[in-house]
Amino acid sequence: MPLRIERRPRPSRAMSWASPLIAAALTAAVAMILFALDGREPVSTLWIFLTTPLADLYGFGELLLKAAPLILIGVGLAIGFRAGVWNIGAEGQLVLGVIFGGWLALEFGGAGPWVMPAMLLAGGIGGALWAAVPALLRTRFNASEILTSLMLNYCAQLWLAYLVFGPWRDPAGFNFPQSAPLHPDALLPIVIENTRANIEIVIAVAAALVAWIFIERTHLGFQLRVTGAAPGAARYAGFPVRRAVWIGMLTGGFAAGVAGVGEIAGPLGQIFPTASAGYGYAAIIVAFLGRLHPAGIVPAGLLLALLAIAGDYAQMMLGMPSSIGGLFQGTLLFFLLAADVLTTWRIRRVEDAPLPATEAA
Amino acid sequence: MPDLLPILVAALVAGTPLVYAALGELVAERAGVINLGVEGMMVVGAVVGFAAMMGGAGWPAAALAAAAAGAALALPFAALAVSLGANQIAAGLALTIFGTSLGSYIGKPYVGMALAPAPSALQQAAGQIPGLGVVLGQLHPLVWLSWAVFGGVWWFLYRARAGLVLRAVGESPASAWAIGHPVGRIRYAAVLFGGAMAGLAGAFVSVVYTALWTEGLIAGRGWIAVALVVFATWRPGRCFAGAYLFGGATIAQLFGQTALAAVPSELMSALPYLATVVVLVVISRDEARLRLHVPASLGKPFSA
Amino acid sequence: MTDLTRRRLLQGAAAAGLAAGLSPLAARPVLAAGEKLKVGVIHMGAISDTGWEYFQAEAWRALQEEFPDQVEVTVLENITQIQDCERLFRQLSIQGHQLLFGTTFSQYASLRKLAPTLPKSHFECCAGIDAGPNLGVFEARHYEGTYLTGIAAGRMTKSNVLGWVGAFPVPQVIYSLNAFLLGARSVNPEATLKIVWVNDWVNPGKEKDAVATLVAQGADVISGSPNTPVQGLAAEEKGVWSIGSTGDFSAYVKQKQLVSFELDWSAAHIEAAKGVMAGTWEPTARWRGLGPDGFVKMTTASPELPASVADEMAKAEAAIVDGSFQIFSGPIRDNAGEMRVAEGETMAPEDVKGMTWLVEGVEGSLPKG
Repeated sequence: MPLRIERRPRPSRAMSWASPLIAAALTAAVAMILFALDGREPVSTLWIFLTTPLADLYGFGELLLKAAPLILIGVGLAIGFRAGVWNIGAEGQLVLGVIFGGWLALEFGGAGPWVMPAMLLAGGIGGALWAAVPALLRTRFNASEILTSLMLNYCAQLWLAYLVFGPWRDPAGFNFPQSAPLHPDALLPIVIENTRANIEIVIAVAAALVAWIFIERTHLGFQLRVTGAAPGAARYAGFPVRRAVWIGMLTGGFAAGVAGVGEIAGPLGQIFPTASAGYGYAAIIVAFLGRLHPAGIVPAGLLLALLAIAGDYAQMMLGMPSSIGGLFQGTLLFFLLAADVLTTWRIRRVEDAPLPATEAA
Repeated sequence: MPDLLPILVAALVAGTPLVYAALGELVAERAGVINLGVEGMMVVGAVVGFAAMMGGAGWPAAALAAAAAGAALALPFAALAVSLGANQIAAGLALTIFGTSLGSYIGKPYVGMALAPAPSALQQAAGQIPGLGVVLGQLHPLVWLSWAVFGGVWWFLYRARAGLVLRAVGESPASAWAIGHPVGRIRYAAVLFGGAMAGLAGAFVSVVYTALWTEGLIAGRGWIAVALVVFATWRPGRCFAGAYLFGGATIAQLFGQTALAAVPSELMSALPYLATVVVLVVISRDEARLRLHVPASLGKPFSA
Repeated sequence: MTDLTRRRLLQGAAAAGLAAGLSPLAARPVLAAGEKLKVGVIHMGAISDTGWEYFQAEAWRALQEEFPDQVEVTVLENITQIQDCERLFRQLSIQGHQLLFGTTFSQYASLRKLAPTLPKSHFECCAGIDAGPNLGVFEARHYEGTYLTGIAAGRMTKSNVLGWVGAFPVPQVIYSLNAFLLGARSVNPEATLKIVWVNDWVNPGKEKDAVATLVAQGADVISGSPNTPVQGLAAEEKGVWSIGSTGDFSAYVKQKQLVSFELDWSAAHIEAAKGVMAGTWEPTARWRGLGPDGFVKMTTASPELPASVADEMAKAEAAIVDGSFQIFSGPIRDNAGEMRVAEGETMAPEDVKGMTWLVEGVEGSLPKG
């Protein structure tokens, strides 16, 4: 029974929805094999792994807290990725959000309730400005935004370290690398009582909705999609690639900057040199896992947040290294990319194979 | 007056992992495949090489094991990027995330351990050579091997027929396929070579450079290697020089800290990255010239 | 899963029993007969073979050894993100851990917020700023160790240039390196100290390169606050001395480790556990150096260290322990020449912790406040 892989006449819509599920199932299978190799009962271990984080309302709040920056940045990055703009610098753009938003909070902390929204805006602008550097270098000097945005991550990190170890150090903090605690006006309101889940999750979901409308319903969104899918055609149709680069980089940077404020004005409540927590990198997986579509990015962000939290609990409950969280994240993305192939290709049984010779072999 | 020889040696050693990793990535990119998983493969190579040494292997065996591990990790990437035509950027990032986590997973028992320093017999012998021996005697044979790899890659790309074919595959896979070259197989081989070199680069860091394993050991060197390939406009000679330039910049910023105490050390630490950005801009500025060098099919999947 | 629920029920029952008989003044044992004290530790980094987290782990290991039948320890490591530590401490508390330890300063802010909200558990944070409600802190006077090792360095240097590989300019590092040079200058007024900042807690490649650059600038005794043996190994390769500062690396650095001191937190863990078991635990700030039950212990010395130098170190140690000698007592000038501690004065502990300047003879920079 010979099988053949052939290109579908058009990408399968059903498969594009099914492939994340296939990838999730395969990842779960790998997880169970890993558990079994470790001498554990695979099914119940996986169950503990996935459900412990959600055992109570607080756990649910933690999931939302961790998912919010992933979704927010993921949505922002996806707009660029769709246009073929590879912003790997969300981590640094997040840090710039911390710097801009943090500056505002330290200067005007108790000045009134306007401070918190202003911080979010300032953080977004900071992130966008940092993203503007690779955008400029790409459009003006043709330098690869993948590499320039990545290098700027390291620089942003060191800049924040300089500020927190130097001018922003809490005078009452014995010289330790942390700012003074932010004024309560500068903190994000909690949306679920007795949890740490704050308004950022609402902002993130709202951003996903806006992005959805932008991508699906506006002419500019359409232009971006075309630019990513077929740059040549886009140029021919008069959509400048340059504009796509700017829009893609700036939205990603803005979203990451807002997420940066979400960290210091949320779970941290203070500025630390390590405020970023790697969300800028994890959000890249979220964007792909969500098929670069806002509707997919929301569940993808929740799933990745779950895996990250579960990795820590695996250590507590199962005595396994927390790095398995990251291991499963990578595996999931691998399988998703592989399963994606089925949206553009299909496997077909060839009834009347014209080449019996190869079949015999 | 500071003694400059140790500084030179330190710069050569700091540059060596970049030489391996960047040359490997260069070959893969010359065949048209961009693999952003270098960092992940280096981490795994570092763990495997270190574990082999702790298991009693000599450095050649450890280096081989690390190269094999790097290639093994590159295999699923190649399957995705070459066979399945998946997005190479995404697949490479997945590889980096996977490899970094895998490295810390299997490296757990070795965290913070160090190898007993044991200068190899070869190295001691080289120290006896008059003149050059002063430098050679301080460099591990894996440093010399990186020079051989550079020579080999250069010869392969510019003098060997197979190298010509590889470049053709990177430039125009369709025409290479049309005249009967197995594009997929060649790309697989190039990606696996890149993986092996990344693994070797990682082992160099854990076995020779620092002689220990800990999380965060690779510290972004894989990404620098990817940047170096662009910096080098896909030419091995510039890649080789660039690796040492970056190694030298790292040493120089540490050196400069005491001399230029007024400059914040964070700014000094950022200099190598800023320099990379500046150089990328200078190299890429002339679009026409860049296009002359960038493999035309880079990042684009090919299916017959 | 069932295990978790059962634990919760048990813990709830225990808490109810506790509340019933609770009177604020009565010191009563928290544990029922036969019940074990559950201790939880969250390590920010990986527990390795050497370095900061290793000594943190040695402390709970010592605790287990002290109370093999009465204590049960749950350990989490590599919880690198500050954002995660609040959730995990809370989870450990809910699971019924009565005594919880944080291993680094970075966890302090979270614990400060969390500790008052979880009265069923007691919290201790290493390197925290100050004790708070339901939160004790403990920290070592690293500078007592570095002062003594500085004496050895001052005696053994031939170039009169010492080197310091700095991770980040946190207070422990600043007062440590200042005391190191003060120790060296107490026996060798010509000694100077060059610093190189790596700007990373663990980056062995860069640390090794930092040693190379210090050696190239004439340093012949290298110290710092390493988490791995890499600095000592790099110094040995260059043929210069290294100091096992906050860790003894002599198992790796076989020839050229001059002297070493370690951080020993066992007393911190054992005292806290005893207090919780007896119902007498109070949040306190413990800042200790050398001496019995101290957190700083001088460990190995190279056979090449002359007996006269070892003797000098021992005398200084005795004087520090009995209080007859204060390290940060005047006159001390900073490296810009300004008099910071006048003749006859001694710095208050708070001022030592908050030091933002480098002593005379240190070449290097600090971030400006």
